[in-house]
Amino acid sequence: MTKRVDRRKFLAGGASIATAGLAGCALMGGGSSDTIKLGILEDQSGNFALVGSPKHKASLLAIEEINNDGGINGQQIEYYDPDPQSSNDRYLELTRRMVQQRDVDALWAGYSSATRETIRPYIDQQDQLYFYTTQYEGGVCDKNVFAVGPTARQQLGSVLPYLVEEYGPRIYTIAADYNFGQLSADWVKVLADENDAEVIGEEFIPLSNSQFSSTINRIQDADPDFVMSMLVGQNHTSFYEQKASAGLDIPIGTSTAMAQGYEHLRLDPPAMANIYAGVNYMQEIPTNRNTRDGGFVDRYYDMWPDAPYLNEEAENNYFSIYMYKRAVEQAGTTDQEEVKAALESGITYPAPEAPDGEEIKLVPETHHVNHHMWVMRADENHNVEAVDDRVIDETFLKDTVGCDLTSKDEEKQYTPQDYYEEAG
Amino acid sequence: MATDADSAGVLGRFVDAIHGPNTMGESRRFWAAFGVVALLMVTFPLYMLESAVTNMSQYLALTLLALSLAVVWGFTGVLSFGQVAFFAVAGYTYGIVGINVAGPLGTMAGLFVAVGVAALFAAVLGYFMFYGGVSDVYVTIMTLVVVLVLKTFLDQTAGDKWTIGEAALGGFNGMPGIPDLALGIGEPFLVFDDFTLFYAALLALLVTYLGLRALLNSDYGRVMVAIREDEDRTEMLGYDVKRVKLTVFTFGGALAGLSGVLYVTYFNYISPSELSLTAASLPVIWVAVGGRKTLLGPIVATVAIERLGLFLSVNVGDWAFVINGLLLLVIVLLLPEGLVPGLRDLVSWIGDRRDEGGTDDTTEPSGEVIE
Amino acid sequence: MAPGVDLLVQFFPSFAKIVLAATGLAIIFGIMGVINLAHGEFIMVGAYATTLAYNGALGALPLVPVDPIGVLPGAVQLPAAMLTGVLVTALFGLVVERTVISGAVPNWIAERTIGRPVVKPMYDRLLDSMVATWGISLIMVQLVRNLYGNSLNGIGIPFGQFSYGNGLSISTYKLVLAGVAALVLLLLYVVFVRTDYGMRARATIQNEGMAKSLGVDTERTYMATFALGSGLAGLTGALYAPLQTIVPGMGGGFLVEAFVAVVVGGASVVVGTLLAGGLLGFVYALFANVWGTFAGRIMLLVVAILVIRFVPQGLSSLVERIRDRWAEVS
Repeated sequence: MTKRVDRRKFLAGGASIATAGLAGCALMGGGSSDTIKLGILEDQSGNFALVGSPKHKASLLAIEEINNDGGINGQQIEYYDPDPQSSNDRYLELTRRMVQQRDVDALWAGYSSATRETIRPYIDQQDQLYFYTTQYEGGVCDKNVFAVGPTARQQLGSVLPYLVEEYGPRIYTIAADYNFGQLSADWVKVLADENDAEVIGEEFIPLSNSQFSSTINRIQDADPDFVMSMLVGQNHTSFYEQKASAGLDIPIGTSTAMAQGYEHLRLDPPAMANIYAGVNYMQEIPTNRNTRDGGFVDRYYDMWPDAPYLNEEAENNYFSIYMYKRAVEQAGTTDQEEVKAALESGITYPAPEAPDGEEIKLVPETHHVNHHMWVMRADENHNVEAVDDRVIDETFLKDTVGCDLTSKDEEKQYTPQDYYEEAG
Repeated sequence: MATDADSAGVLGRFVDAIHGPNTMGESRRFWAAFGVVALLMVTFPLYMLESAVTNMSQYLALTLLALSLAVVWGFTGVLSFGQVAFFAVAGYTYGIVGINVAGPLGTMAGLFVAVGVAALFAAVLGYFMFYGGVSDVYVTIMTLVVVLVLKTFLDQTAGDKWTIGEAALGGFNGMPGIPDLALGIGEPFLVFDDFTLFYAALLALLVTYLGLRALLNSDYGRVMVAIREDEDRTEMLGYDVKRVKLTVFTFGGALAGLSGVLYVTYFNYISPSELSLTAASLPVIWVAVGGRKTLLGPIVATVAIERLGLFLSVNVGDWAFVINGLLLLVIVLLLPEGLVPGLRDLVSWIGDRRDEGGTDDTTEPSGEVIE
Repeated sequence: MAPGVDLLVQFFPSFAKIVLAATGLAIIFGIMGVINLAHGEFIMVGAYATTLAYNGALGALPLVPVDPIGVLPGAVQLPAAMLTGVLVTALFGLVVERTVISGAVPNWIAERTIGRPVVKPMYDRLLDSMVATWGISLIMVQLVRNLYGNSLNGIGIPFGQFSYGNGLSISTYKLVLAGVAALVLLLLYVVFVRTDYGMRARATIQNEGMAKSLGVDTERTYMATFALGSGLAGLTGALYAPLQTIVPGMGGGFLVEAFVAVVVGGASVVVGTLLAGGLLGFVYALFANVWGTFAGRIMLLVVAILVIRFVPQGLSSLVERIRDRWAEVS
């Protein structure tokens, strides 16, 4: 009896020791100091893998191209790309790891705004240079954050005026029921006001919802001239099929569909017929840099032949890595404060979204980008073509809020409700 | 007997209190091993990287959540998916108070208010369920539905009208900028971040563990276990089963709330993703894998599984969930009592086999007193 | 808005979703006492199998010379693909039952290697079955994601639209689903009342020990039941495949409705599911139509909580009580 008891208790204690040891196994990690270290945290699995995976792939494409071309100032790029699995907890843990263990010179991380907000306090605490590359609701004025994706105002501002002119002023909004959707709906109201249009109805749909009969019903009842859709996520994709099947063929303007999740390739026609996407980039945009032989699309599929699509955010990752390269070359060092100052000197880059001869500009005061926006329309066979395009500046932070990071350090997110009556 | 107890004094009574049939580990060898592990943990920051220490403080906070479920499920028989609801409610409450009331007073008040609110929520829900005659699997499903309602509601609280004072609930994006827990009046003299948080969590775990041992081995603890084993019989023996379940459930809610406050101090952020189906099932996984009828099991399992999760996501991202799921399956099928009791049984089985073979070393009494 | 007609039409898809989501789960829970937290993933398997079969995957299997779905006339292709989905899921369910739920296969192996069984069956181990099936669900979602990527190309929605009221219309397929849901319940009723299997199943529910001593092979009954429940889940997946995006996590969208309906419905599979579908479907349709989908969803969950609280044995127990009281009176 004695012996058995001893061993029993010992092993319980021993298991705890082993676990403590396992838990501590976070060792080593620095690369050599003559490489430039970049952290790439993009979802390769989990809920956002569909849209996160192209971001990851395009980042690696940019890095490989730069390395093959001699690197940055003669230094090769070394990158770390663990998989955060679409979990905000993992994002924070891995961000800490990137900063503390790997000591990365710059970090690209996250798809959703929730992820960005989870890690932003830590980023600010560590003054880590951080690029956020997804389209988002806008308003982040933060000295460490370079939000290079298009804002809701830029995206909606490209497609809404076009649709008002084509179809009429009565708008019905459907949006995902969370921050991005609600803020985008606010911007629709602001833009409608600026374009002599009117929002006659709004519906907010929970992210988990995938049955849309009542929504379709309410749209038909309201009889608008066109619909603005800011639906997000896999569940919401079913809306397009269901609406087509119910015979609802009203034109729909969107900032979220097609460019990120390539619904026009995944769904059977004519689900996406008459959908107008206001985006800065989609695989189908007709610029030379994008579609020529050896252009962006070709290079992407050369490196990743099995990839299903080259989406909007992927291009944002791609050009922002090149912008980082230009800033480091200008600053002559990878010291993060100096690179941030260089980024604030008016860096431009010939991104695939812009036609030949044009370069998109990173605005010094706001850390956002004046994008070349496109209105892309899908027809009954899901062929996508450009119907309108122009450069749209980021105006909310720069003009309305007056965010100026070159003269005053800030770390805040602003919303339209504070500045526009119509949005409230 | 009386004289023995007197002369042993407070320490003796304490030692008596934490030993009993409901918890594992009683011999001197056990406490020696326990002491070694405790020492290793206390000196953890000396030999581990800073990121490992901060990660560990997160895991230690989560062990309290696991223990809250262990008490409610393993020892009283109520499987609750709702512990994360109390965890999240406390996190949000602490954030709201901490953001609105500046300085360490705000955070201290936040701690008490948060745990109080979590306990109150648990009490109301518990009353609704247990005094309404809801039982067994229906309790489980109800707690799950409550979590989902809370999540659906919180997801859409974006926008300025969902602001309490200066704290915006933030909807799906969550509430950032939550201050660290700090002690002091006016000027903080102790801020719980990094190493301090690690020690605070470790201390909280230690106190909770010993306290729970005392509770479970007391008379009250025996009633809890009796309810787990056979509720009707316990009721017929005259115990107020409903009241016990309600009290234990409320206590579990408070403990989950404390875990939430410590966790939120680590992240300085909270969002409704803590209420997702996956998050709600994590405590169940930790407790089931560790051994639901023990206290050490859930503690060890929480740290191991979370650490394994980080390791897997860094190294084999794609297959992490598959491995997690397999782990769960294997444990429930082959070691239904959990990992820690399973290891214990394995060890004694090996001991049996060896005893059968050898004849020399079994006869010596080792002179130890075992209870 | 013509509220009456509108509401009536919206009720049908709502009713269909709840009933179809719940049937498979209700059978397994009601007869075997096993809570299948992987129920959503079984539905996902049905949807994936249907979509893959429809898109020609059967032809790509080894030893299969030509795609059997492709050679059928167009109109029959989708039902044939759906049938494939149902069969694949039922087979998968059988495998799960033999390995995890009853532990027969691991025990068989263990008997021959170390001389004793290692796994205890999951019947009536409510909480353990929840944990085990949750593990299966985690594995399945990730496995499917790794094998088939983040999304499959979908199937178009068949049939056209149905116009009603003032310029309103709905996809006819959704109305068809309501009819299918009712048909499924009717068939289940027939199975339980008229077949041998049904009789054995009901005997096993009522009193397993007695049933066994009267010669009922309970193990066989459980196996058949789990396969039936899985097949029904597969049917749900097959039916909803045209309506939704085919992604590995799609099961989660059915899980809540299924659980809530099973609990609200109570012990009787057919009557309970019917009543739960009726009540919850009506609540959802009403609130979603007037106040939007968010309101609909919240009210559905709130009503479910209230029913669980005030009628803890489920709606079917109410029916029993009414029936008993009538019997007393007449």
